[in-house]
Amino acid sequence: MESNRSFLVQLQILTKRMVLRVVRRPLAELPNLIISAFFLFVYDGALGGVFGGAASGTPFDFAKGNFINFILPVSIVSASLSGAASGIYLVEDIESGVFKRYQSMPISRWAIILAPMNVGAFRVLLQSGLILFIGIIIGADPAVGSIGFLIVLSIAFIWGMGFAGYSVAAGVKSGSSQGAQAATFLFFPAIFLAPTFVPREALKGWLETAAAYNPTTYVIEAMRAVMVDGWELDVLFRGYLSAGLFAALTLTLAVISARKATEKA
Amino acid sequence: MLAVDVKNIKKTFISKQDIVEAVKDVSFQVKQGEIFGLLGPNGAGKSTTILMLTTLLSITEGSASVLGIDVASKDKEVREKIGVALQDTGLDNLLTGKELFFTTCRLWGYSKKDSEVRTGELLELVGLTEAAERRVKTYSGGMKRRLDLGLSLVHSPEILFLDEPTTGLDPGSRRVLWDEIKRLRDNGVTIILTTQYLEEADELADRIAIIDEGLVVAEGTADELKASIGGDVITFAFDNYDDLENAKNILKNTVQEKNELRITVEDGASKIPVYLKDLSSNGVEVSSVSASKPTLDDVFLEVTGYRLEGSEDIKKSEEKSKR
Ligand SMILES: Nc1ncnc2c1ncn2[C@@H]1O[C@H](COP(=O)(O)OP(=O)(O)OP(=O)(O)O)[C@@H](O)[C@H]1O
Ligand SMILES: [Mg+2]
Repeated sequence: MESNRSFLVQLQILTKRMVLRVVRRPLAELPNLIISAFFLFVYDGALGGVFGGAASGTPFDFAKGNFINFILPVSIVSASLSGAASGIYLVEDIESGVFKRYQSMPISRWAIILAPMNVGAFRVLLQSGLILFIGIIIGADPAVGSIGFLIVLSIAFIWGMGFAGYSVAAGVKSGSSQGAQAATFLFFPAIFLAPTFVPREALKGWLETAAAYNPTTYVIEAMRAVMVDGWELDVLFRGYLSAGLFAALTLTLAVISARKATEKA
Repeated sequence: MLAVDVKNIKKTFISKQDIVEAVKDVSFQVKQGEIFGLLGPNGAGKSTTILMLTTLLSITEGSASVLGIDVASKDKEVREKIGVALQDTGLDNLLTGKELFFTTCRLWGYSKKDSEVRTGELLELVGLTEAAERRVKTYSGGMKRRLDLGLSLVHSPEILFLDEPTTGLDPGSRRVLWDEIKRLRDNGVTIILTTQYLEEADELADRIAIIDEGLVVAEGTADELKASIGGDVITFAFDNYDDLENAKNILKNTVQEKNELRITVEDGASKIPVYLKDLSSNGVEVSSVSASKPTLDDVFLEVTGYRLEGSEDIKKSEEKSKR
């Protein structure tokens, strides 16, 4: 028989299967979610008292009275890193031989590779959305109004896809799920060499320099602008640009490495 | 038209460390509706050959076609026609058998409804209906093999490639798979399978190619191969080493294995008395003697110079399981 499936239908079937895999191990979703929520609660608990209220009227009043608004972007960025699961999903299929089976069938190799990216994207939206929801419950209130939530989510999505691409490239290159997992260690420099707890101007010299080269900085700043300060279009633009460039770079790397992986040796 | 036509294919793996000639020169032809066995030891190049024929590896030199379609240039068309079960089963442990069949049916283009029907058929066919709702993780080795075979049958392929379909299975499960494979052949499916078991090749394959170190060293039906050795195999067993050594000198052209000597002659049974007389007149004591038709084992020894290890084990375990 002819397999007359279109690319999109194949992608849909493969994505569905991948979602099923995720659903079968719900606990795997927890660590990243908990870390992200942890940022929100613990930092608000530790610093919220000072920077959320007591600093009012001093030069340290960068949270403008609502520290949740200030710290939520960090949590969201952390949640968006869940996109890095894409690479792990893909490499699991390579290790189990499922990838080879699909290759021996007349289906598009791009569908095989895009399915885990799709699920990574779902994951980013789901986790970021959940954190956002928690944020709203405990008092987040964007300076630009509710549309701010959408902006924050959209930046998180692009950023998360950047991590998805990065993990796919790293996973395929290393050929092991450990390789893909190790890639998530990028998380630490990404989050901590950035204006995580205070604005960039308040960082010490060396960290300020490091942060300037870290695209996470601009992503967090853009989200913060929307949450704390209002419409600062140049900051917003820089945020989208950083996230977009990062995603474009890593997705290109992912495509190159995936093409290699699906090529015949 | 030939089901599979392989002409002098070669595969060289080049890495930074070294160059491996996994397949040096392999040619064979498979007719439609037959089971063709590629028999060879570990590292012979069986899997590499299968991967090339199933479009998963490029062919370094030579050419191959499946149902007249060139494997190298028309890989997508070839994939439409073939079913593949590789040596390492590609199964998704987190899903159930049913879900795996359903997904695979959908990928082959069946509608949701048809996929459900086909899933039921295939589960029945490979005897997994009872385990259908269980996750593959909980399946035994034999069940996984059967599931893997079933998944390669979703689109009712005309040609089926099976790389060591029964390796690691107990004799009972092996039988089940053998019967299944024969039934497929009887329904018109052409099957190319690899094995390192002589019995399997003997029992299943209509024709056999013995492959060793990347080369086809013999080809034909099991009977042809056995006949190619000519005559019968007489086996002499000895109780002590001196007798064996003496006998070696007297009999000439023998092949030794442990405490036994083998000699291949025409019309073996009638020659036994002559040999025995010869030996006893030289003071050599023979503990037992027998004549038999050559086995594939003997063929293998003849064409490669060594025995296929492990083939004895499976015989023994099979005897055990019969008891
Ligand atoms: N990707 C590869 N890179 C380098 N060498 C390889 C590669 N694949 C196989 N080989 C080598 O090629 C030779 C043949 O391997 P192949 O897997 O085809 O053997 P086989 O007959 O299937 O053996 P087995 O019975 O163990 O499965 C071996 O020496 C193996 O090490
Ligand atoms: Mg093999």
